[in-house]
Amino acid sequence: MSDQMMEKIKNIEDLRVKIKQGGGQPAVDKQHQRGKMTARERIDYLMDTGTFTEFDIFAKHIGRDYGLDKETVPADGVITGYGKINGRDTFVYSEDFTVIAGTFGEMHGRKICKTVDLARQMGCPIIGMNDSGGARVTEEMGALSMYGQLFFRHVRTSGVVPQIALIMGPVAGGQAYSPALMDFIFMVEKTSYMFIAGPPLVKAIVHEEVTEEQLGGPSIHAKISGVSDRTTKDDKDCLDKTRELLSYLPANCHERPPYVQPDDKPDRLTEKLIEIIPVDANKIYDMHEVIKEIVDGGKFFEIKPEYAPNLIIGFSRLNGHPVGVVANNPTVMAGCLDYKSSDKGSRFIRFCNAFNIPLINLQDVPAFLIGSKSERDGIIRHGAKMLYAYAEANVPKITVVLRKAYAGGYLAMCSKDLGADFVFELPTGEICLMGPAGAVNILFRKEIAAAPDQQKLREEKLKEFYDKYVNPMYSASLQHVDDIIDPRKIRLTLIRALEISLNKIDELPKKKIGLTPV
Amino acid sequence: MSEEKIIAPMVGKVIKLNVKSGDQVKINQPVVVFESMKIEMDIMTPVDGTVKEIKVSPGQVIEAEQVLLTIETL
Repeated sequence: MSDQMMEKIKNIEDLRVKIKQGGGQPAVDKQHQRGKMTARERIDYLMDTGTFTEFDIFAKHIGRDYGLDKETVPADGVITGYGKINGRDTFVYSEDFTVIAGTFGEMHGRKICKTVDLARQMGCPIIGMNDSGGARVTEEMGALSMYGQLFFRHVRTSGVVPQIALIMGPVAGGQAYSPALMDFIFMVEKTSYMFIAGPPLVKAIVHEEVTEEQLGGPSIHAKISGVSDRTTKDDKDCLDKTRELLSYLPANCHERPPYVQPDDKPDRLTEKLIEIIPVDANKIYDMHEVIKEIVDGGKFFEIKPEYAPNLIIGFSRLNGHPVGVVANNPTVMAGCLDYKSSDKGSRFIRFCNAFNIPLINLQDVPAFLIGSKSERDGIIRHGAKMLYAYAEANVPKITVVLRKAYAGGYLAMCSKDLGADFVFELPTGEICLMGPAGAVNILFRKEIAAAPDQQKLREEKLKEFYDKYVNPMYSASLQHVDDIIDPRKIRLTLIRALEISLNKIDELPKKKIGLTPV
Repeated sequence: MSEEKIIAPMVGKVIKLNVKSGDQVKINQPVVVFESMKIEMDIMTPVDGTVKEIKVSPGQVIEAEQVLLTIETL
């Protein structure tokens, strides 16, 4: 009897070993020659050693026609399961390009859908590793329907658990909308592409000749379209970055983001800010340097660094607590808010709000970008997203005005009026309704026109205006800021404000959904 | 050999040109100073090369994405 049992076990285990070889050695070699890891190697590298549990390895396609019926497709071209990353439970799926190009068929799709469902129900993040030639054409409606099933699940899972897409090969056609419906997308240099139609179809239909790289390579999506959140240099770098990103995120929307014992003192003086921030508001500086001086150990995980770099967004820690940082960068486009940076910033604010990550807002903003191009780009519609996202967010919101905080830009970078819990201003802060020079030209137009020395009068009036209305004492006297602080004490001030805000309760009015501008 | 166009990131006014036609430039060297949204900013060359043609002059108002100068790369 027991021999029979042993034989049954052996048959199953032999088959399991065979399936794990994927598309076979020649296909694996080819994958390696392209500089890519295999689907299983990626999972092994991403997850803590020995923690991965696979399910549905025996899934088999039900294709009846066009030769597919005679084809064996190990694990149906996608590996699914769960395991631990930095000791925390995570669900993963990893498409196997060595198996008929990782094409997306009905069972392949069903496996991914099941993984997303389980991640949502168990309250764990989901990581999707995409490496697929697109829909398996031989499966027709089976593939198309599963795309729809998957999109539906991504949407229903949105805001419940973090969803991260890694583009580690081609992602073509309708499948590109799967990552697009997730929270973050990392792409790998040289080996990854994303487009809704590849070069041959583009040439046939719209008569345009482009390479895969020009159409949807990592640099296009990181710099121009804004589809990608980070470009990584190879598979390992991509997986390392994923582990790093996850270290800032809670497993689901009901948890707090993970506190980590800090290796930096909360009362460390931020001495360098004295040198970094120029007193002259017309001089520029790199806001990255400010962020790195303030946060724990100078560690900052930037999101979309190459897209709309006039606004910096990313994750960091203050005294061990994860925070989302939103900061204007005066080095690029004067740090103004244009339609792209508004789109980038508002999405990030909403993500942080969904996952209980407090927001730290560093303001040096000369306003929303004005002019006919900006209006035509829809700055009113896109700029409104920033206002909406901050006002809607009920996580702790703490703002520092470093220098300029002009007009709508001041409100859109989270002022008290938009619900900031605490606002601090440096002695160099300039909060005002409009740029002081412009205000003086309007207020004293007639006097200046009539003056014998117009320049002299303009300068006098400007000084008077600065003393009365641009001086931080003015905003502090009206309680728009809680305190005017020494730049060297920013870190300590932020940590104290953050720690007192961690139990904040701010109930939103009951409604079905809010209608964020899109 | 190829040509790189240096374009204006946003609407504004040219304050100063740091280079002239024929000058050698290195990556990230500021080539044009322009003013917009109340701030003076440098526009850097993203490539090494030789300045081929300057298409704007100081004081000139520029549109977003307007070509300011071209650089010939090796």
